[in-house]
Amino acid sequence: MAETPVVAAPYWAAQLDFPPIAKSKVPGIIDPPGFSSVPSGPKKGKDVKAPQPRKPPSPEERDTLKLKKAWEVALAPVKGLPMTAIMMYMSGSSLQIFSIMMVFMAFKNPIVGLMATNQAFERFQTDSNAGQILQTKLVYVAMQFLALAVGVWKINSMGLLPTTRSDWLMWEPLREPVEHAILAL
Amino acid sequence: MRRSLPSALLLGLSSLVAAVYKDEVGRIDFHHALVGVPQVETTFFHRPKKDEKASLLYTLSDVGVLGAVNPNTGALVWRQQVAPGMAGRGGHLRAPEGENWVAAAYGQQVQAWAALSGRSVWQTEFDGRVKDLEIMELTESARKDVLVLFEEDGVTVLRRLHGALGTVVWEFREVSRDIPLQVSTSVSNVYVISLHGSPSSYSLKVTTLEPATGGRVDHWIVGTKGGVQPEDVMFVGANSAAPILAWSSNDLSKLNVHVLGPKSKQDFAFALPSDTVSVDIHAPHLTQSQPHFLVHTRTATGNKAEVFHTNLKSGQITKAYELPLLPGLGAISTSSEGANVYFTRVTEDEVLVVSSESHSILARDSLSPEARVEAVHAVSEVIKKAGGKEFAIRSATVAKSQDWVLIRNGKVDWTRPEGLSGAVAAAWAEIPEVEDLAKVLAEEAHTNPWNAYVHRVTRHIHDLQYLPDYLATIPTRVIESITGGAVAVSKTTGLHRDSFGFNKIAIIATRRGRFYALDTGSHGEIVWSADVFPQAPGAAFDVKGLVVNDAEGTATVRGANGEYAVIQVADGKVLEAQPGDESTAISATAVIERDGGKWLLALGRDGKPVDGVLAERTLDQTIVIQEEDDIIKGVKYVNEDGEIIKKDVWQLQLLPGQKIASVAKRPAHDPVASIGRVLGDRTVNYKYLNPNTVVVAAIDSAASALSVYLLDTVTGQMLTSQVYDGVDGDKEISCTMSENWYACAFFGQYTLNDGSDRDIKGYQIAVTDLYESPSPNDRGPLGDAETFSPLDPVDTPTGVPLPWVVSQSWIVSEPLTNLTVTQTRQGITSRQLLAYLPESHAILGITRHGIDPRRPVGRDPSAAEIEAEGLARYTPAIFIDGRNLLTHERDIIGVRGIVTTPAIVESTSLLLAYGIDVFGSQIAPSGTFDILDKGFNKVTLLGTVLALAWGVVLLAPMVRRKQINRKWEAFM
Repeated sequence: MAETPVVAAPYWAAQLDFPPIAKSKVPGIIDPPGFSSVPSGPKKGKDVKAPQPRKPPSPEERDTLKLKKAWEVALAPVKGLPMTAIMMYMSGSSLQIFSIMMVFMAFKNPIVGLMATNQAFERFQTDSNAGQILQTKLVYVAMQFLALAVGVWKINSMGLLPTTRSDWLMWEPLREPVEHAILAL
Repeated sequence: MRRSLPSALLLGLSSLVAAVYKDEVGRIDFHHALVGVPQVETTFFHRPKKDEKASLLYTLSDVGVLGAVNPNTGALVWRQQVAPGMAGRGGHLRAPEGENWVAAAYGQQVQAWAALSGRSVWQTEFDGRVKDLEIMELTESARKDVLVLFEEDGVTVLRRLHGALGTVVWEFREVSRDIPLQVSTSVSNVYVISLHGSPSSYSLKVTTLEPATGGRVDHWIVGTKGGVQPEDVMFVGANSAAPILAWSSNDLSKLNVHVLGPKSKQDFAFALPSDTVSVDIHAPHLTQSQPHFLVHTRTATGNKAEVFHTNLKSGQITKAYELPLLPGLGAISTSSEGANVYFTRVTEDEVLVVSSESHSILARDSLSPEARVEAVHAVSEVIKKAGGKEFAIRSATVAKSQDWVLIRNGKVDWTRPEGLSGAVAAAWAEIPEVEDLAKVLAEEAHTNPWNAYVHRVTRHIHDLQYLPDYLATIPTRVIESITGGAVAVSKTTGLHRDSFGFNKIAIIATRRGRFYALDTGSHGEIVWSADVFPQAPGAAFDVKGLVVNDAEGTATVRGANGEYAVIQVADGKVLEAQPGDESTAISATAVIERDGGKWLLALGRDGKPVDGVLAERTLDQTIVIQEEDDIIKGVKYVNEDGEIIKKDVWQLQLLPGQKIASVAKRPAHDPVASIGRVLGDRTVNYKYLNPNTVVVAAIDSAASALSVYLLDTVTGQMLTSQVYDGVDGDKEISCTMSENWYACAFFGQYTLNDGSDRDIKGYQIAVTDLYESPSPNDRGPLGDAETFSPLDPVDTPTGVPLPWVVSQSWIVSEPLTNLTVTQTRQGITSRQLLAYLPESHAILGITRHGIDPRRPVGRDPSAAEIEAEGLARYTPAIFIDGRNLLTHERDIIGVRGIVTTPAIVESTSLLLAYGIDVFGSQIAPSGTFDILDKGFNKVTLLGTVLALAWGVVLLAPMVRRKQINRKWEAFM
């Protein structure tokens, strides 16, 4: 049918061929299977005129890099610690919403960190650097304990630790007399 | 857990709510403002203002209180405590006609009080005792003067005191062995009547004096020798046209009357009915009144009256007419209006008024049933109504039930429970439940399972009958609980318990031998009263032990003369009663708790149990008794072959010159919430908690030294002692003890030993804390031992478990008496020291933090100390703040004792102060932390909750729609 005029493809068909770039990506919503957010087609082809791709690093270099990163992760908990300690010291020993929240965070962060130790180092783990990563892990755990110790110090200074005699007074028995005298006065 | 926070919170709260607010007055407390039972010779109607008709009712009562009562309402207008303490009968009260003051005398004092306001006009004090007081209505000037007869070591002294100033106008002295009896005046003379002769043969002597100068005019002897006894002289009229002198023979067979006057010096004798019990004479006290008098004779079954007329010219006495013999006590009173004299007779069922002229009855009011009180004596006001025929009569009658009742036109206008005054002992009792669930459950537990099951099912079926009623009350209860504030005012009337434990019964014993029960749930209303031990005139009932057995719902009482009674708490029924006499006198009682019950062990004068109770029950505990006023002993009673032998275990003999001034013991209910005291550095000072201790305060009046000893009652060992110098032994010394501390209040003066040579003088309160050891976190020589016995051998000489003592004293601006400590259910609430202020007529509550001996001296407390212990810097003086007065603005007089008891809620302690007045209140030393505040708005709270719920319901669909929209819009 040569005489049939060339009809421009309908808008929806054109959109099907060249889908518009999503306005914005809402975080947390995963793309449906087969959907590529990277626009393809002739338009894209023009842009892809990147320079020569970088030479991929060698496995040794990767390991060093990963180790470096792992050390950074391991030391992260103590980096903010002086600051936290000063803030805790400043907030005093009284019970206020600020100090309660600080104490809560001081305990929550190290504990959550300790629980997630393996996840934190998972991406740096390779077969070759297992030993070194273990070291970083140990340091990481130690640092988390250090952070925890600051929290403990804080609640101790707030007087919430049952460390003194007065805290156990309630369970001390009253000394009972053996004899009883009756007063007729 | 750390305790500092709650304690700091409590401290903060206590400073906020310590005061009694005005809107709490009358809600949490009650007050019976009493004057005491009026005495017949010192009670009268009197016009306080000359030109006004309204009169007040004045009385000087048998507890030494002078009071003015509004006869229309029965409300107290004013009152003054004339006699110190709670004095017995006696005293004199007279009011001059047409003047605005009344004159009273008691003991050595003569006072004049403004009749309308009760303010003091003047008061003077002389040597010797006042024997009589009379108003001199006619003087050479316009004013009226007071004649006071004194007895000064055998010397008769009559003083005429200036009515307006109280200064002595003249004085008449007669040095003779005569006993002055009474004073009387007539238009022209002053008469002094005295007993002449020796005790075996008295006769009466009348001395006539010149009114203007006090010079002796004449004297003569009346009556045969030996025919008169002091108590027989019953009446001496004064200020009337013809004053008379009347006395009866010893056997009440004859009444002698003598008209006082220079013209006649003759006696008239009248025979009295053979079974006469008592004779009274009633005559007017006004110069213008006709010279008529009435002789009221009471026999064992009835009473009759005879009216006599005196002939002014001849001095002859003639019998005019007779009022018939009527059954019952009957009361007769005189009232005069101008020259007319009316006699009002209150009989068993009516009030009659007769004129002194003739026996025709002028007015007759039959008494309504509630007004049929057994009248003991009465004062009446008879007013002729405008028409000239009708009479308005009102009689203030003292009933046999010791109430003061005003009967107007045959009906009761008001009743004042004056018998409640003069309380000598009080105790708290729970309101007995009709069917105690706990008792029923205990009963079920003891039977076999099947019977218990049947019992329970039948009980539940039985309970079903109350279900419809209960369901019907639910809506009103819900509405009440929402709108009715925190403590919903219960509509239930009568005795009932409440969930807070504020409703209790206070049992009060008065010195007239009468018992009262007050319900604190209905503002101290009298539930019942019972005349258990009627006292003879002049005698006073003294309670040695009053204990309430809540399990049985009974109160047991032991009197000083061996009286014994068991009274039912709910209705005042006397289950057992045993009158006492001198031979069965009791020196002390001990409360012995056994098998869940309490009983009183009464000890006789020799320190041995009076009844045979110990024959069947053995008592192996040491009993601590007091002998004389300087020995405290610990004894044991041993049953040897059926005979009870007293064996001394230990004895504390005070030093020569020392006398026991006060003894304090721990209250029966004294729970300890914490065995230690947490210090600022979170260490613990352990409290020395020994229930077997007693505080003995011994005063050496000669050396002015007060020694306070803490004794171990098992061994008699002196655990600690303090000596205070310069203490006045004549002023009251009061001590109290609780938990691990004791306090004593006294008056003292001493020089400071800081080199400044300053004197400290004033009323002081000394507080002593006892701890197990001086160092914190140390339980002393006994260590962690779970039991202790002071009889155990001690290994090391330093190992004797003696308390470590911290003591401190404060100066207060007023005397503190009757020290008591509040009691709460678990002892968590901080304690408050209660004291009566006899000068302010109020009850003071001092929080324990204020009198803490650990308050730092010379430095400010550290922040930790304030937080943990609530310490404040020591200041030597305690300022009596009006906000700490638990009585608010009420005027409480004559408090003799304070008793406290815990309520069900921990925060509150109930208080009852008794004496002349009765005052009851609720105290929350740390604030009412377990009760919703009165200002707590339940409507607002519910409204807020409902509004929030409504908002959530409204907003939920909107939010849901928005969330869905947002998810769809994400792909656009």
